Amino acid sequence: MFMEGIQMVFDKQIETAARADMEKLQLSRLKDCVGRVYKNVPLYKEKFDRAGLKPADIKSLNDIRNIPFTLKDDLRDTYPFGMFAVPQKQIVRVHASSGTTGKPTVVGYTKNDLDMWSSVMARLCCAGGVTPEDTAQVAFGYGLFTGAFGLHYSLEKIGAMVIPASSGNTEKQIMLMKDFGSTVLVSTPSYALYISEVMEKMGIDPKRDLKLKYGLFGAEASTEHMRDQLEKRLNIIATENYGLSEIIGPGVSGECTHKCGMHINEDHFLVEIIDPVSGEVLKDGEQGEVVITAMSKEALPILRYRTKDISYLIPEKCTCGRTLKRMAKITGRSDDMLTIRGVNVFPSQIETVLLSSQEVEPHYEIIVRRENWLDQLEVLVELADASLLDNYSKLESLQNTIRAELKTILSLDAKVTLVQPSTLKRFQGKAQRVTDLREE
Amino acid sequence: MIWNKTYECMDRDKMTSLQSERLVKLVNYSYENVPYYKKKMDDIGIKPSDIKGIEDLNKLPFTVKDDLRDNYPYDAFAVPIGDIVRIHASSGTTGKPTVVGYTRNDIDTWSELMARTFAASGVTKDSIVQIAYGYGLFTGGLGAHYGAEKIGASVIPISGGNTKKQITVLQDFGSHAIACTPSYALFLSEVLEEMGIDPRKDLNLKYGIFGAEPWSHEMRAQIEQKLGIRATDIYGLSEIIGPGVATECEIQDGLHITEDHFVPEIINPETGDVLSEGSEGELVFTTLTKEGIPVIRYRTRDITSLNYKKCECGRTAVRMKKVMGRSDDMLIIRGVNVFPTQIESVLVSITEIEPHYLLVVDRVNNLDTLEIWVEMSDNLFSDEVRRVEQVRAKIKDEVQSLLGLTAKIKLVEPKTIERSTGKAKRVLDKRKI
Repeated sequence: MFMEGIQMVFDKQIETAARADMEKLQLSRLKDCVGRVYKNVPLYKEKFDRAGLKPADIKSLNDIRNIPFTLKDDLRDTYPFGMFAVPQKQIVRVHASSGTTGKPTVVGYTKNDLDMWSSVMARLCCAGGVTPEDTAQVAFGYGLFTGAFGLHYSLEKIGAMVIPASSGNTEKQIMLMKDFGSTVLVSTPSYALYISEVMEKMGIDPKRDLKLKYGLFGAEASTEHMRDQLEKRLNIIATENYGLSEIIGPGVSGECTHKCGMHINEDHFLVEIIDPVSGEVLKDGEQGEVVITAMSKEALPILRYRTKDISYLIPEKCTCGRTLKRMAKITGRSDDMLTIRGVNVFPSQIETVLLSSQEVEPHYEIIVRRENWLDQLEVLVELADASLLDNYSKLESLQNTIRAELKTILSLDAKVTLVQPSTLKRFQGKAQRVTDLREE
Repeated sequence: MIWNKTYECMDRDKMTSLQSERLVKLVNYSYENVPYYKKKMDDIGIKPSDIKGIEDLNKLPFTVKDDLRDNYPYDAFAVPIGDIVRIHASSGTTGKPTVVGYTRNDIDTWSELMARTFAASGVTKDSIVQIAYGYGLFTGGLGAHYGAEKIGASVIPISGGNTKKQITVLQDFGSHAIACTPSYALFLSEVLEEMGIDPRKDLNLKYGIFGAEPWSHEMRAQIEQKLGIRATDIYGLSEIIGPGVATECEIQDGLHITEDHFVPEIINPETGDVLSEGSEGELVFTTLTKEGIPVIRYRTRDITSLNYKKCECGRTAVRMKKVMGRSDDMLIIRGVNVFPTQIESVLVSITEIEPHYLLVVDRVNNLDTLEIWVEMSDNLFSDEVRRVEQVRAKIKDEVQSLLGLTAKIKLVEPKTIERSTGKAKRVLDKRKI
């Protein structure tokens, strides 16, 4: 049943389930989820009541289309724990990701949720080639973001040897790869390319000097061209995985080593593709916005969450033998969110920081560049008082203050450039504040 | 709360038997699976069968940090790499880090021991715990994380740094407990004060779990007062397991060692002789149950003493005195042994200054000099010169009294001494010895 190149299938029964069995499981989980959120999450009871909908109305998988969408704003409005479906005492983990304003988006997990998370991500790691014999270097930043923990626990579940390298300190990362014989690299694709450049400068040849075999990449969009580069430069098989903390973190879907679409863990996550304007559900193969229902989560079950990511579904069975439906690489977003060094950034977060300062005007530009594969964020903003430009120390102090505020909110280091009043673009209609100079 | 009464309150005779049984197994295991231990034992003519119980512990050779460095990266492991599920590394002071590896059982043991630590500090499964130790290769973050998770607490893995964010989380998520270095806790309390936030009124903080660097009783008192919490000292080192080797209880009179897993000894650091109960000397540990990287008689370089009396908390586990310094961060100034924390005790008791200090040691005309830089409080900074002089003289006298040394005291502006989010750097030794 399994084609060449398939190392290990973590959960054979689910990953090769017949469509009818999968749909039966999905329906039972969907019904259970709808009942739970109606009972325990005030926001969902309200949404249902307003739509004249009751949990018992969900009788078939198609009935999901009657359920109102969930938006990022819903999580923002219930910050921090207002959407949890269980009492705080049952929460064993809290994570957070970027919110659209000053406060982060908060997610929580029960013990069962953590077990599920590590299992679904373990499936994807195995699909990407990992076995218990591997040594995996996790070069995502460990902390409130879900990336590092998602991979860490799943790799540990598989029984691989986990090196919790966290992010940064590139020369040390390379030393670890060399000395510890890492066979798997986990990071953003752009950081992996950056690492490959530093390796080249250091005279290290991955083929000759390292034992790398697989790369599990995520947290930002990437192209086929980048994958080719990664595979050639690091001598690995590079696969992409997808997730978002509102749903679970990494683990929603991921490529197998045949690299033709990302298998969705659809026994836990129902994926629909909608027209972002009308909200109508589209057919398999049609491109639109990804909407996900996390049916089995206990702490934060989510119905029809609008991710703003653009993709399409691939219904055919994959050559690897898995029957889990695939989704295509994310090609863009239907909102203005940026991903910078794997971190989600909303221009409105930046705006919130700028608006809170009296010394700058709300006229600003955001420029994103990629230099040597590392994303650089620059914020240009107009001073309220031009005379400040003559006072270097005051200027620098204001720059540093804004920079520190941005770092607190974004967890990113931005370059802040203060400019003369009235020098930045003005707009007639919607402001186009962002210039993304990155080509891929 | 006592997490594991069976082991934490075990009858002393039973504990000794258990340790002996485990030690015999451990010695055989290490001899058979770790080449450098086989060599060490062969070199001194000891066979595993010579070890019948913990009374024979002192027949075994010591292990020092260099032994682990010399076996970098994996030669000190007792199992094949396939059985290792986790690697951690501590910063070596020079060159390569010291690498430690854990099997799945080791991770489970570690989580159990950290659960004991958190339980002793006041944390329960209903607590919200903010873990501000750095996560990554350092054992602090992940060690604390797995322990709090084992208890069933709500874990916020915030890692170190980004102080404004730490405070936002303390306020918005209502954390009951925070785990970080004591110097960072003190720093947090300052920022809270600056921001006009009163921990007692505006936060839910009740417990602090502090370790990874030595800190004085006086500093504890200050942290407890400023944050309105019970501050628990915890101890560990990655060569042994990471945090989870010892923890204070609510009595705060010594740290209970998890001795069903680690047997402590106190030795004379010069001669290697084992010292009697209550004597102060270098702490040595033997791991009894670790599979990945068993360690025999590891010289920690930490200075402390042991107390076998039963504690009022109900635990029978031996206590070690709060570690006030290491035999290697110990300074010798004009022949006098000086630990930075001794000076800290003096400084913390003086209200007109902040406990942010730097010891600058130099040698001028062949004589050691000690300069103590310490920050003035805002009040003192704006006070009369005469007042500042009085405080300077007071510090000088107290240091003289305590150490028998004359130090030059330099009072600096508030906020000029570098803060740390991790271990504080307290000493600048300019002598080229």
